Amino acid sequence: MEFFFDIFQNTIDQFTNPKKRVFILYLFLSILIAVAWLIFHKKKSLKESIKFIFNPKVFFSKSATSDYKVFFINQIIMLLISPHLLTQITIATALYFFFFEINFIEMGLFASSPKYLIVSLFTLTHFIVDDFSKYIVHRWMHNWPFLWALHKVHHSATNLTPMTVFRTHPLEGLVFTLRSAFAQGVTISTFVYLFGGGVDLYTILGANLFVFFFNVFGSNLRHSHIGIRYWKWLEYVLISPAQHHLHHSIAKEHYNKNYGAALAIWDWIFGSLHHSEDTDNLTLGLGTKDDQKKHTLKELYQTPFIESFKFLKRYFIKVFLFKKINKNKSEIYYKKSPQ
Amino acid sequence: MKKSKLKTKLLASITCLSFGLTGLANAGAHSEDVYGPFPVTLKGYSGDCTNTVSYSGQIARHVQHDSLKHLSTKGDYSEMNSYYSGSDKNKQIWAPASKDGFPIKQTLLNDISSGKNLSGKTYKGTITSWPNNMTGPEVIDFWMSKAESNPKDVSVGLNYQQLLSKFIMGAVFYNQAVDNYLDEKMEADTKPNDKPYKDGACYTGKEHSWDEAFGYWGAAAHSLLLSAEQNYNVAKKKDLASADFNGDGVVDLKSEYVFAHAYYASSFDKGGKTTYLEDITRAFLDGRKLITSANGEKLSDMSRARLMAYVDDISSNWEKVIAESVFKYAGSTYKSLVALEDVSNADLAKEFDKYMKYWGELKGFSMALQVGKNNIGETGAKLNRMVGFGPMLLDETQIVGIDVNGNYVMDKVYSMNDAKLHMLKIQKLMIDQFGVEARGNDMLSDMADLASKIGTSESAEND
Ligand SMILES: [Zn+2]
Repeated sequence: MEFFFDIFQNTIDQFTNPKKRVFILYLFLSILIAVAWLIFHKKKSLKESIKFIFNPKVFFSKSATSDYKVFFINQIIMLLISPHLLTQITIATALYFFFFEINFIEMGLFASSPKYLIVSLFTLTHFIVDDFSKYIVHRWMHNWPFLWALHKVHHSATNLTPMTVFRTHPLEGLVFTLRSAFAQGVTISTFVYLFGGGVDLYTILGANLFVFFFNVFGSNLRHSHIGIRYWKWLEYVLISPAQHHLHHSIAKEHYNKNYGAALAIWDWIFGSLHHSEDTDNLTLGLGTKDDQKKHTLKELYQTPFIESFKFLKRYFIKVFLFKKINKNKSEIYYKKSPQ
Repeated sequence: MKKSKLKTKLLASITCLSFGLTGLANAGAHSEDVYGPFPVTLKGYSGDCTNTVSYSGQIARHVQHDSLKHLSTKGDYSEMNSYYSGSDKNKQIWAPASKDGFPIKQTLLNDISSGKNLSGKTYKGTITSWPNNMTGPEVIDFWMSKAESNPKDVSVGLNYQQLLSKFIMGAVFYNQAVDNYLDEKMEADTKPNDKPYKDGACYTGKEHSWDEAFGYWGAAAHSLLLSAEQNYNVAKKKDLASADFNGDGVVDLKSEYVFAHAYYASSFDKGGKTTYLEDITRAFLDGRKLITSANGEKLSDMSRARLMAYVDDISSNWEKVIAESVFKYAGSTYKSLVALEDVSNADLAKEFDKYMKYWGELKGFSMALQVGKNNIGETGAKLNRMVGFGPMLLDETQIVGIDVNGNYVMDKVYSMNDAKLHMLKIQKLMIDQFGVEARGNDMLSDMADLASKIGTSESAEND
């Protein structure tokens, strides 16, 4: 009974907690931004805009309805496994002890810095480290076959809605959770070690200031059918919704582009940036013949699991065999070498 | 957790209300929540005893411990020992003693109970947290003889008062309760409920075994009617109104005072994060009611199973109270180590004195933690290694052993930086192994606070 209550509470929390992406206010603001974009840029009327945004063909598509199912199922799965996962505190404590042990830099070296500076620096660093780690992990998701097998679940969406963020395989969720714990652990331990007890976070409604603004300015449109584009110069710094739509496109020229979450600078630095285009006629998905058959629960849960495991097995066999070959080589070498 | 907090609040407000109405604590008003009196249930008893609750022997030992603690700074071995090993004479109660506004009923040990000692009830196993494989009583005796010449030995950093007090609370009170009375004596065929505890007694085997364990716990009989803060102030001799349950104007040590671990529990609970005192005392009370309800018959298997659930509750929470103390004093020892780094020469002696006190408490509690019912195994080994046999001195040496003549062997084994790190790791160990929640002097709370501010790292989301 308590378990069902927890599921219910966690589900409600997604929409009522300002730390979460689909917080009701963020969704509402995304709608406003979308309306403004359609009226001023696409020259639609207000009525047309509203009709376009709430297009039932999008929100009741096979793709979108499978998003909703995955959302609920994952709530349950994460509730079951999350108590057993490595937490940011465990990582932060271990790192803090490590810094202490190596005693390379004096503890509390910058503890006397002005409070506003420490807090600003921490707030910014946390945002940047978090965003950068998202970029890296997302890149891995596309480049390692055993991870791509999982990430394909997200990319099999043929329509994007704000709920598509939850279209994630649970194993991928596990990787993301570890990523977040690690990013937080590193930032927290480093700051507390160097700056002492004055470290704090600037927040609005409890959310990191920068995360709040990212969400207020339409983060939910990244997964939507509203292809908002930024000025070219801005798209070097921040990823526009349209840029992320390209990331979901099946066109060859869009492959492996725009991995970034909030910041585009990582894509820019590491050569994966692609500026936005008009996305009205973009086809989304995996680009296979049977993309519409990928929305079943079996395809979303079981198939990726098996496929990922297959790649992982293949990888381990390779490493294992490779080592064996090397060992044989060295044995031969020793046999041949003069005594 | 939340439920029991609500209960505390409710209880506290009811208590306040009734105190306000009657002006005085009233023995009849809350008897449901008071430990005793309990009626005679023993079949065939024909004496004139009407109340079967009796734990004055335990109270005598609490008083012996408090008096020994008081005397340990004076450096007289035979005086100390007369409280530890017992004495033919009717000794004075040095502590807890009356003070202005807090008169105590008893002034002599025999006013409570005669012929009691601590030595016979001290854990007899090998104490691995101290050098040379001494037994519990041997460790105490070694310390008392050392304290005779130097109760606070700056040359090795030992404060014997703290060591003696904190270890005795574990090796006598905690050990006797959880490893004897609530363990062996709760077995089905030991001290059965259909026979007197001993010939001629009006209480049954189970009734009295349970009462003895409660006595060692140290709560007042009416502790459940008081808030954590009030219990704390009773132990500090600051709140006569809360202590004097029967309203006779004096504090009866036999039932109205808060001793030992019950006092430490109140000190944590008044922070609002825990309810150890209430939980343990409530379990004792409910367990006693269960035994009484058997009405002098042997406990059924089902009743005994229910009783053992109370035992588990008591033992695990009691262990946590000691772990909280280890946690707290590891924190204060850490703070002292930091303070000693750049203390002025003028303040050095004062600061070092504090350091010795904190380390002594840390060591005593960490030794106590290892003499319960359960062997805490690897956790104990880790704890002993990190606490050490003596605090690290400013030249980075510390006690590493005791030679054949009983002299301390000093050596340098790790750095000051390591010593500080050990204190942090001890705090983490207490969280990981015992789940301490009050966490006094938490040196790692900054990180936990930040983490909770940022929010959960759990995310099954594709940004
Ligand atoms: Zn992707």
